[in-house]
Amino acid sequence: MIVYDKKLLDNLALVEEANSLESAGFISKEQKNLIKKELPAFKRQSNILVRLGFFLLGAFLYLSICGVIALIGLTGSTSEHNFFNICCYIFAAIGFAGAEFLANQKYYGHGLDDAFILGALLNVGFAIAITTEGYEIQVALFVAVASFFMYRRYLHLLSLLVFCIAAAGVLFFGMFEFGDTGKTILPFVAMLASAAFYFFTKRVLHKLTVNYYYNGLLLANSFCLVLFYLSCNYLVVRELSAELLGNEVPQGKDIPFAIFFYAFTFIVPAVYLVQALKTKDRIMLWISFLAIGFSIYTIRFYYSVLPIEVALTLGGLVLFAIAYFSIRKLKENEVGLTFKPDRINNSNAILNAEALIVASTFGMKPEAKVPDSPMDFGGGGFSGGGSEGTF
Amino acid sequence: MNKFDDQASKSLLDKNLITENQYQEISAYRNLNIFSLNAELKLFLYLSVLLFTSGIGILIYNNIDSIGHFAILSLLLIVIGVCFYYCFKNSKGFQKQETTFEHPVVEYLALAGSILTCIFIGYLQFQYQPFGTNYRFATLIPTIVSFFCAYYFDNKSILTIGITGLAAYVGLSVTPQDLLNNSNFYNDQTLSYSAIILGVLLILWTIYSSRIQLKTHFNIIYLTFALHIISIATISSLLDYFEYGIWFLFLIVLAASSFYFYKISHELKAISLYVFMIVYAYIGLNIFLIRIFENFSFSDIWVLFIMILPVYFIGSILMFIKLIKKFNKEIAA
Repeated sequence: MIVYDKKLLDNLALVEEANSLESAGFISKEQKNLIKKELPAFKRQSNILVRLGFFLLGAFLYLSICGVIALIGLTGSTSEHNFFNICCYIFAAIGFAGAEFLANQKYYGHGLDDAFILGALLNVGFAIAITTEGYEIQVALFVAVASFFMYRRYLHLLSLLVFCIAAAGVLFFGMFEFGDTGKTILPFVAMLASAAFYFFTKRVLHKLTVNYYYNGLLLANSFCLVLFYLSCNYLVVRELSAELLGNEVPQGKDIPFAIFFYAFTFIVPAVYLVQALKTKDRIMLWISFLAIGFSIYTIRFYYSVLPIEVALTLGGLVLFAIAYFSIRKLKENEVGLTFKPDRINNSNAILNAEALIVASTFGMKPEAKVPDSPMDFGGGGFSGGGSEGTF
Repeated sequence: MNKFDDQASKSLLDKNLITENQYQEISAYRNLNIFSLNAELKLFLYLSVLLFTSGIGILIYNNIDSIGHFAILSLLLIVIGVCFYYCFKNSKGFQKQETTFEHPVVEYLALAGSILTCIFIGYLQFQYQPFGTNYRFATLIPTIVSFFCAYYFDNKSILTIGITGLAAYVGLSVTPQDLLNNSNFYNDQTLSYSAIILGVLLILWTIYSSRIQLKTHFNIIYLTFALHIISIATISSLLDYFEYGIWFLFLIVLAASSFYFYKISHELKAISLYVFMIVYAYIGLNIFLIRIFENFSFSDIWVLFIMILPVYFIGSILMFIKLIKKFNKEIAA
C-alpha cells in the first residue's frame, strides 16, 4: 500500500537516529555526514520554515492549475452549471495526480507534496458537498475514507489528523440522525468510542513490528486522549447542548448529570498527569497540561471566582512555586524523572520561542498621540494581552 | 520509550556506520531511562513570570486612582528589589561571551525584574510625569534599563523588549503581530524612512559588536529584527508610493538588503534569515514585474496570463529548490 520504497523509509529512520545521536554528542559531525552520504534519501525538508514555504508555493501552483482548468471549462463547455457540478472532482483528481507524481519523484515531507495531498482532500470535501447539497455525514464519511487512503499510501501524518477529525465528525453526525435522543447521549457515546479506540491503538502500537506506522498510530492515540477529555468536559457539554438541543440553562439550575461532568473535568486531567509521569509519556504529559489549563478556563467561564488581574497574579505565583519546588526536588536525580536535560530527546524547541512570545506580549509601542488618554502608559502597553486566563 | 529508536541504532551498528563502543555507550544511556522535565519546568517558570507581570500590569491599570500611589509604588519597588537582589547575587557579573546561570530560576527572575521596572517607570510617568510631557524620553528609560539587563544577565527575552523599546522611540511598533499586520505604515509614510534607518543601525551594531566580540550570540536577534523591519517597510512603500524616482529608490534598498542578508545568513548559517530574505525578495520581484506589466494594456491578454501562471509557479518552485539546496550544501561544508 505504501507508495514509497521501503528501503528509503528505513534509511530515513536511520538518518534521523544519526541526527539525534549527533546532537546528543554520541557521534561526531563527520560521522553523521558520512552516514547521510552513505544512505540514499528522500527529497525532504526537515526545517519547518522551508517546508511551509514550499507548501505555500505548492498551493499557488495547485491553484493556478485549477484556474487554467476552470478557464477552459467555463469557456469551452456549453453549460456553466454542469461544469460547476463536476469541477471539484476534476480539481481533486489533479491533487491525487500531483501527489502521486511527487511521490514517484521521491518527495516525502517536502511541503510540495503536503500542498497537493491536503488540496485533494479539501476538494473531495467540496465535491461531495456540492453533489449531496451539503449533507454533512456523507461529506465527513468520504473525506475520512479519502484521508485514510492518503495516509496509507503516502504515510502523510496531516492526512491522518484529517482522518481523525473526519471520523469523529462521522460519529457526531451519525448520532444526530437519531434525533434528540442521539444528541442527548452524544457525550457518553463519544467518550466510550474514544476510550475504545485509545486502547485499540495502544494495543496495535504495542504489537507493531515495522516502524512506518509508528508516528501515525501515536497521533491517533493522542487524538483519542484529547477527544476523551473534551467529550465530557463541562464547558463543551453545556455549550453544545445549548447549541444543538436549544437547552438554555435557567438561572439557578444546572444541566443534567452536572456533577458527573464537573468531576470528569477535574479528574481526567489529574489522571492523565499521574499516568504520564508514571509511564514517562511526554505527549500525554503535554495533553494533561493543556487539559488542566482548559479545566481552569471552564470554571472561570461560568464563575468569576476572582477578578482577572488577581487571578493572573496569584496564578503566576502558584505556578512559580510549583516549578521552583519541582526543580529543587528533581535537581539531583540522575536516572528516571529528572531536571537534567535529556541528551537524546530534548524538547528545547519550545524554549526557543520564548523571546518571540515576550516580544509579542510585552513589546513597547509608540505612545498614543493624545497625551491624556487613559491608555497612555508612558512607555506603552505593558499590560500584556497574550495570555488570557487559560492557565 | 520508543522501541524503534534502539532498533535504529542497532541497525546503524549492523551497517558498520557506528562503532561497537559507541553503540554500548548509547544503549547504556538509554537504559538509564531518563525522563527529563527540563523544558517543561522552565516553561512553567516562564509562564509564571508572564502571568504575574500581566496581572500586576492590569491591576495597576485598573486601580490607578483607587489604591494609594505610594502603596503601589512601594510594593512594586519591593518586588523589583527582591528580583534583582537574587539576580545580582547569583550572577557572575558581566561577561562578554554567552553565559548561563547555575540556577535556572534566576534567568526568569531577571526577566520579571525588568518587565516590572518598565511597568514601574510607566506608572511613574503616568502619575507624576517626571520627564515632563516628552513621552519619547519616557520610552527611552525602560529601553536603556532593558538593554542593560539583557547584556548584564545575558537574556535574549529582555533584549527583544529593549529592541521594541528602541523602535517605539522612533515611533514604530515592531511587536511581531504589528509587523505582520503591517499596521505601522498606513498613516505615516515617512515612518518607513525611520524604519530603514533603524534597521541599518541595528546591522551596524552587529558588525561593531562582532568586531569587539561582545555577545555575538545576540547578533541573530538584531539581524532578525533588522531584516523584518527593513523589508516590510520597503515592501509597503513599494505598494503605496507611485512617484517614479522614490519608488525606484525603495526597490534598490530592498535589493541591497536582500543581498546583505544573503551573505550574512550564509555566514551565520541561519536558515530562518535566509528563508525570510528569499520570501521578501520574491515578493519585491513580483511587485516589480507587475509594475512593468501595468504599462501594457491587459484586457486582451489576461487569458494568456492565467495560462502562463502555472508555468511561472513551476519555474519559481524549481528556483527555490535550487536555492535551498545550495544553501544546505554551503553551510554543511
